[in-house]
Order: sequence, then C-alpha cells, then structure tokens
Amino acid sequence: MILASSVFEWLATSPWANAMNGPEWAFPVVQSLHFMGFALSIGTIAIVDLRLLGLAARKQTAAQLAADLAPWTRAGLAVMLITGFLMFSADAVRYRVNPSFQFKMTFLALALLFHFTLHRWATGARVAPLTARLAGGMSLALWTAVVGAGRMIAFV
Amino acid sequence: MTIVSVLEWIESTDLSTTIREGALPYPIIGGVHLLAIALFGGMVLATDLRLLGWAMVRQPVSDVVRQFRRWKQSGFVLVISSGLLLGWGEPLKLFRSPSFWIKMALLILVGVHALVFQNGVYRNPTRLDEALTPRAKLAAALSLILWAGLIVSGRLIAYDD
Repeated sequence: MILASSVFEWLATSPWANAMNGPEWAFPVVQSLHFMGFALSIGTIAIVDLRLLGLAARKQTAAQLAADLAPWTRAGLAVMLITGFLMFSADAVRYRVNPSFQFKMTFLALALLFHFTLHRWATGARVAPLTARLAGGMSLALWTAVVGAGRMIAFV
Repeated sequence: MTIVSVLEWIESTDLSTTIREGALPYPIIGGVHLLAIALFGGMVLATDLRLLGWAMVRQPVSDVVRQFRRWKQSGFVLVISSGLLLGWGEPLKLFRSPSFWIKMALLILVGVHALVFQNGVYRNPTRLDEALTPRAKLAAALSLILWAGLIVSGRLIAYDD
C-alpha cells in the first residue's frame, strides 16, 4: 500500500494534475467534457438497453442499434475515461479515500466488464427475450449506480 | 413585491430548506438530473447525429426521429422537473449566477429551435428518408451546439460564487 499511495502522490504532482489545478476554468471545462462524454456513452448504451427491454426503437433490432452506435459509444467512453482520469489526478490522494469515489470505481469496472462481455453477447446473439431483458435492466442499473455515485462524490 | 423577496420566500419554504440542508435530497435530485441528461441527452445526440448522416445511417431517419420522440419528451420533463427542484433549493444563488442566466437564455433558444424546425424536420421526417436536407442538418448542428452550451453553463453554475 506504500507503493500505491506514492503512485497517487506522484499522480497529484504530475504535469497534467498541475494543469488541472492551474487556471480556474480548467476543472469546470474538463468536467463539462466528462458530462458530454458520459451522455454520449451512457446515452447510446441506454438506447440499446431500452431496446433489449423491448421499450424503445422496436423497429430496429438490438444488434442493429448496438452495431450502429458502437463507434459513438466508444468515443464517449474514451472522453469520459480520459477526463475522469484528469479530474482524479488533480486531487488523487483525496479522491482515493472518498467512499463514493471507491463505490463509483467499483461499479464502473463492473459496468465496463458487463458491457464488453454479457451485454455484447445479449445484443449480438439471438437470445431469449427474458435474457435480453435481464441484460438491458442490468446494464441500466450498473450505469445508474456509476452516475449516482459520481454525483455523491462532492457531498461525502 | 420584488423578485428578490419572492426568491427569499421560496428559500424560506420547508421544501427549499430540506433540499438545501438535508444530506440526501440535493445529491439524489442532482443524480436524477444527471441521469436524465445521459438518457435524454443521449437520444438528442443520436437523433442529431442521424440527421447529420453521421450515425445509424443504415436506419431510416423517420424511424430514429419517431422512435426517440417520446423518450426525449419524457427525459425533458425529468430534466426540467429535477432542475426546478434543485433551483427551489437555492433560488437566490441562482439569481446571482451569470451562468444560470446563460443557461436559461439557451433554454429559451431550445424552445425557439423547436418552433423553427418542428414542421420542417422533426414532425415530417419521412421526406428525409430519401435525402437529408440542408435544413435538417442545420437543425441538428444547432441542436448539438445548444446541447453542449447547456451542459457547460449548467456545470459552471457551481463555480459562480
């Protein structure tokens, strides 16, 4: 753990952390990009989830929607993860011990894992309707936990 | 009766105090606001990207526009109502925040955008299945700009002290 904490201390003094802690506008601008990134990624994932649940875009199949939206989902995920890492670096030592942050990272890992494994399988293959619904519901629940915990970070 | 006295009255209501001072209401309402932005914002993005011919190009424009309409409307109601509750909690702070007024101006422009492009684009999308019109692309581009502006100005409210 000594190694881990020195990594976080180093992160907090890294050039990009200094840039984040420099001008007043840096943090809100990166935060806004973070919001846009997750609206794009989670928003497009939610479209597929609602289709899996049989609630939206029923003229298309979940496979079609997932394939068509995948580049945008990935672009959104990239923006979200990069900006998230920048914000984390700006105050790494403090974020690391924030319970909401820890909760958020746990669920982010679960949500990403789920997205690229079972969720992908459930959208790609011809699965039973109940399985599709479970996958859509699970995905929505995981991403909801990530966003909810993210909002809590500032209040804990 | 001045605007400020009305805002002071709002801030003295039990609901306002609870939202402002309770440990959970503000983050929970804020979380709902954010989730609605992800859901509704994602559908707005998907529709705009389709109108620009950048995403979901294999699906007919009319399918995308029509199938997301109800969800966008529900998301919009959720964003506005959660936003109203957040505002009810700290009306004086918002009144003095330049970013808040920029956000409200952009919201009015969203209304103008809807009025201007409703008939030509969003209500009659079948014509767009053959070819995307410059008008549809303009509508989508402006919508994306307004969308980004709303997010940035909304986020900046927290820094306006």
